Amino acid sequence: MAKVVVKDLHKSYGDNEVLKGLNLEVEDNEVVCMIGPSGSGKSTFLRCLNDLELPTQGQVIISGYDLSDKGTNINLVRENIGMVFQHFNLFPHLSVLQNITLAPVQLKKASKAEAEKTARHLLDVVGLADKVDAMPKSLSGGQKQRVAIARALAMNPKIMLFDEPTSALDPEMVGDVLDVMKRLAADGMTMIVVTHEMGFAKEVADRVVFMADGLIQESGKPDDVFDHPKSPRLQDFLNKVINV
Amino acid sequence: MKKWQVAVVMVLAALGSWFSLGATAHAQTYTIATDTTFAPFEFQAKGGKYKGIDIDILNAIAKKENINYKLKAISFGAAVQQLSANQVDGVIAGMNVTPERQKTFDFSKAYYTSGVVMAVAKDSKVKTFKDLKGKTVALKTGTAGATYAKSIESKYGFKIKYFNESNNMYNDVKVGNSAACFEDYPVMSYGIKNGIALKIVSKQYDAGDYGFAVKKGKNAELLKKFNAGLAAIKADGTYKKIIDKYLHSSEASLTGETASSRTFIGLFTQNIGTIGNGLWMTLELTVISIILATVMGVILGVLGVMPGKLGPAISSTIIYIFRGMPLMVLAFFIYIGFPDLIGHGFKIPAFIAGMITLMLNEGAYTGAFVKGGFKAVDDGQMEAARSLGLPYWTAMRKVIMPQGIRIMIPSFINQFIITLKDTSILSVIGIVELTQTGTLIIARNFEGFKIWLMIAIIYLILITLLTWLSNWVQRRMN
Ligand SMILES: Nc1ncnc2c1ncn2[C@@H]1O[C@H](COP(=O)(O)OP(=O)(O)OP(=O)(O)O)[C@@H](O)[C@H]1O
Ligand SMILES: [Mg+2]
Repeated sequence: MAKVVVKDLHKSYGDNEVLKGLNLEVEDNEVVCMIGPSGSGKSTFLRCLNDLELPTQGQVIISGYDLSDKGTNINLVRENIGMVFQHFNLFPHLSVLQNITLAPVQLKKASKAEAEKTARHLLDVVGLADKVDAMPKSLSGGQKQRVAIARALAMNPKIMLFDEPTSALDPEMVGDVLDVMKRLAADGMTMIVVTHEMGFAKEVADRVVFMADGLIQESGKPDDVFDHPKSPRLQDFLNKVINV
Repeated sequence: MKKWQVAVVMVLAALGSWFSLGATAHAQTYTIATDTTFAPFEFQAKGGKYKGIDIDILNAIAKKENINYKLKAISFGAAVQQLSANQVDGVIAGMNVTPERQKTFDFSKAYYTSGVVMAVAKDSKVKTFKDLKGKTVALKTGTAGATYAKSIESKYGFKIKYFNESNNMYNDVKVGNSAACFEDYPVMSYGIKNGIALKIVSKQYDAGDYGFAVKKGKNAELLKKFNAGLAAIKADGTYKKIIDKYLHSSEASLTGETASSRTFIGLFTQNIGTIGNGLWMTLELTVISIILATVMGVILGVLGVMPGKLGPAISSTIIYIFRGMPLMVLAFFIYIGFPDLIGHGFKIPAFIAGMITLMLNEGAYTGAFVKGGFKAVDDGQMEAARSLGLPYWTAMRKVIMPQGIRIMIPSFINQFIITLKDTSILSVIGIVELTQTGTLIIARNFEGFKIWLMIAIIYLILITLLTWLSNWVQRRMN
């Protein structure tokens, strides 16, 4: 079975139906990029994958665990899905090192010493070895986001979700964060990335999914989606994005 | 165990021991309530001991009849309420025997007979009741003077203002806010002899008997012994000695004060023991209440932000009830109303009642700002914590609470200061804390300005220390 299976996913806020029956399968090691206009439900979809939002209808199955099943321990599933947010959401009262070690230590995944060792290694990977003891507020946006990625990786997840990880960053910071993500992809991480970085999608994605109006309108290989868009919605969207 | 856990256990243990004390204290020993400021019948002498005609008569009778008793000095109103609520066994407080009171209480034979007089400021032009038209008259709640003045209120067309303490009533007349007050003759003439700047301008009206009271149908044994003892001390001359001692000597000779002790410093050194006790009581109440209110407030705050509907609903309801109720009403309800409701002679020691009152009231305020502080933490923080796989309570404890509490620190400091000040309201249920200490000292030496200045300075010092301490903690946390 695929790593992530989504079947007929619906989500409404009151009368407002945001997701209108999505179907998607993501295989092991696959990198899926999601694009689409603002308000189309991309974040909502991503948040349904780790139960931050409760679907109104439909099924989400992660590594074989059905999230709607009462018997599923959602905390265990979440340990296996890392999530990176647009606004980083670092814990401001904790140092960089403590941000990264909090979950592994609390959840007894590792001793404090082991967790710190892993954290230093991950900081090295994201190029922030010298920021171990810094407080989040002293970091730039790009540095914060790379710490956030390291924090998610510290739980050794099998899947990583990214919700517009670079859209709150100054342009010169974007590259550092994308580099880290490219490396992750190259190492075989299963990733679902909501992004407006078309260049990144073209280069890294195995598949690009276009969402609009709460539905997946079109999906396929990057070249097909970007160079031969079929639906007028996608053509329209790409025109706007590329002309900006 | 962590430090805070040790602290909680200690507080609980202390609570437990107080409760058990309250439960075991009543066996053979009677609790007799008296007023705090009704010289020459009762007043506090230097060092905090109570003296006066009532006190000495009770003591002499108790000796004759082998009565074990514990004296409890509270305001007259509270004494009467507590007697009817079975919180005390008897009251001796210069209480007039009236038909009204005889419905609820059984009285002893009269141990003293006195009438009501009108007193005015020394330089006042008021000479007769007719001069009171349109003016305000100061009365002390529940006294014979109050009853008499009320009965002639419409006839002479004056307005009435009530006080709980004699001394505040005298002062109101002295400074001219009220034109006159009505008071029992011995009380008034004793006060004037001891420096109250008032004069008596009427003869005695409505002469009435003072009696010792028990709740109707209860403590018949105690009443019988009192009557027998009264007869005995009248027969052997003790009674006359007591009356003479108080009505024909100046207060200073009774309280042991000298003229030189009337300076600010003199008054302070004279009363340092009493003030120290009051201060200690205030500190004890403040510290324990702050701890309990903080625990309660944090629980309410956490309930208030819990997912689901039940937690927030419980939290809001409790905050709504206890924040909305005036502290004094809550204190009376817990101390007098609640035992009344339970019945079976259930009693709550005043200290415990005061602590519960403060805990509920300050806890509700704390709960409200704790809830607000947790809500002020960005939603993304909880989401990030949860997406890492942290369970709700771990996320709350490790991520939301530390940030929320930082936001709340100024509110906590503010609330601590309010708690300290609010302890003064608990004097209404007879807790002798700093404010009540001031009232008691003034009742005996009439040095209102100097003593209140002293008390005010002590409060300011306490609040300054508390603020420093809080700021220090705040700096440590950041
Ligand atoms: N908690 C919520 N309550 C009510 N409506 C919501 C909530 N969260 C999202 N929505 C609505 O759902 C719709 C989809 O929002 P979502 O954030 O998923 O869009 P998006 O595709 O991520 O947009 P963007 O590119 O701007 O981030 C929007 O109309 C939004 O107003
Ligand atoms: Mg979004």
